[in-house]
Amino acid sequence: MKNKLSLKYVGFFLMLAILVLLPFVNDSRTLIILLTQIFIFGILAMSYDILLGYTGIVSFGHAMFFGIGAYTTAVMLKQTDTTLSIFLLSIVVGMLLAGFISFLVGLLTLRLKSHFFAMLTLAFSGLFLVVAEKWRSVTYGNDGFTFRAPELFRDRMTFYFFVLACLVVIFIALYRFVNSPTGRILIAVRENEQRTKSLGYNTLHYKVIASVVAGTVASLAGSLYAVSLRFVNTSVMTMDITLDALLMTIIGGVGTLVGPLLGAGVIEYAQHALSGLARDYPIFERWIIFFGILYILAVIFFPKGIIGSLRMLYWKWRLKIKERKTTGALSQEKERFE
Amino acid sequence: MELFVNLVINGLATGMLIFLLAAGLTLIFGLMDVLNFAHGGLFVWGAYAGIFTYMFTESFLIGIIGAIVTGALLGLITEKLIITPVYGNHIQQILITLGLMLVLQEMIKVVFGPNGVAVKTPSYLSGSWEIGDVIIIKYRLFIIVVGFVIFGIFQYMLKRTKIGLIVRAGVQDKEMAQALGIHIKRVFLYVFMVGAALAALSGMLMAPYSGVIYAEMGMEYAILGFIVVVIGGMGSFSGSLLAAILVGLAGSFMAYYVPVLSLAVNMILMAIVLIFRPQGLFAMRKERST
Repeated sequence: MKNKLSLKYVGFFLMLAILVLLPFVNDSRTLIILLTQIFIFGILAMSYDILLGYTGIVSFGHAMFFGIGAYTTAVMLKQTDTTLSIFLLSIVVGMLLAGFISFLVGLLTLRLKSHFFAMLTLAFSGLFLVVAEKWRSVTYGNDGFTFRAPELFRDRMTFYFFVLACLVVIFIALYRFVNSPTGRILIAVRENEQRTKSLGYNTLHYKVIASVVAGTVASLAGSLYAVSLRFVNTSVMTMDITLDALLMTIIGGVGTLVGPLLGAGVIEYAQHALSGLARDYPIFERWIIFFGILYILAVIFFPKGIIGSLRMLYWKWRLKIKERKTTGALSQEKERFE
Repeated sequence: MELFVNLVINGLATGMLIFLLAAGLTLIFGLMDVLNFAHGGLFVWGAYAGIFTYMFTESFLIGIIGAIVTGALLGLITEKLIITPVYGNHIQQILITLGLMLVLQEMIKVVFGPNGVAVKTPSYLSGSWEIGDVIIIKYRLFIIVVGFVIFGIFQYMLKRTKIGLIVRAGVQDKEMAQALGIHIKRVFLYVFMVGAALAALSGMLMAPYSGVIYAEMGMEYAILGFIVVVIGGMGSFSGSLLAAILVGLAGSFMAYYVPVLSLAVNMILMAIVLIFRPQGLFAMRKERST
């Protein structure tokens, strides 16, 4: 057991070292931008995994929190000054705002059954999209607006490291969260809500906690996304963002935290590669079809995703070895008796 | 007065289109316990297939038939390939039908091109009548009539025929119906196909009404359909008609008097209903607490 744990840490630090050193080895601009994008969506997908993977609720309103973060940062950088402190403040403000809204929305919606919850979150995020479109004096509607990023982040490399740092902090924080007693209760809710309730836990209370955590983290991802583009429009509030997070989580593996990160990498990279191919083969312009089909197949055949399936194989393999050992020991025992 | 009548007709016409969309959703949900998030995809496929048939044959009627056939066929494929593997698992159903929605929507762009298509109303349905001061647009009246006719046919089928009896029995208690020797899986399939065909018909009728069709319209109208189903009560056929008319009227009056709120009013309506009466205003059966 201890051996396995240290293996996990080795893997974590190895991956981190590679990602830290990569820009020094290969400083191609496209690669840096792609990786930054992957990290940002990794954060978003991990936050979605708290809902889908750990608490077992399907929310179609996740884009709303992403959008709140993106708009808060963009508006604050546009209206006031483009200093680093304003940027950091805007992240905090966005997270607080998203936390507050997810608390309210959660209280209203989380007592409903899965279907109704999914629909109501869809409606709420639709409401926010409408607000973003109509409140033109601040958001400039669908046209969006550009703004200047803080001096420090003009350099793509610095921003890369900043996002990487955010990713690591969030990953560790969420890892601690899902392994905390609260996280365990969330898993219990996912497995059997009725039973958790009958054990004396107020499940609504815990589901609201999960939704607040997921909302605030999604808002951080939104803030980073806005700065990475230096532009924001209503597309950050649309269903597409939620769908991206959903795809990444499902394909990577629900309820694993690492899975969504991997999923973000796979999807963002594939998106990048396929849009490159689209120049030669127009069919690839509609790459969403491939993802849609892949996603449907994943739901039917690999509901556990890449990491989940690998983990299951690993456990099966372990079980086999253990069985072999025990049966071996048994036959030895038998021989001794005879 | 003139304004009032116009707003009412407008609201009724929109309401009828949403009703056609929601009727399929509510029957599918009531019977199969499946919430079909791909319903909007079937709607938009109906619109495109119907309109292209209409433009090709220059007969609106054949266009409508084309839409219905396309919808039913897509329903058949969907039920067999997508829904059957995930019966009973709500989360997987939500996820998989949403994925299908994505595929259907993008397939539209592949097959019919990514740009919106302008649609003309057939000559015998375009124009309007003037009765005193009131101007009645023919096509809107046509939609309202079609909506009521379909409601009548379905109401008759559900209440007076053997098929309707089986469907109603299934909605009420499918284990019991199954125990009485009804092949419930087959009923599921037929109901799904009919629901899909209704969605396609709704899309086809919507096309000349809005004047232009585009791939993303599926999701927009599907959300309205969901709202109607929630307000009307899952599984309630007449409830969805009343709720659809309510949503249509609320939309048309709000668009005139408080335009800022017009997009939000339905969602607020749904939120209120869900919070205070989660089973819907006209629910037929009690939600079982499972």
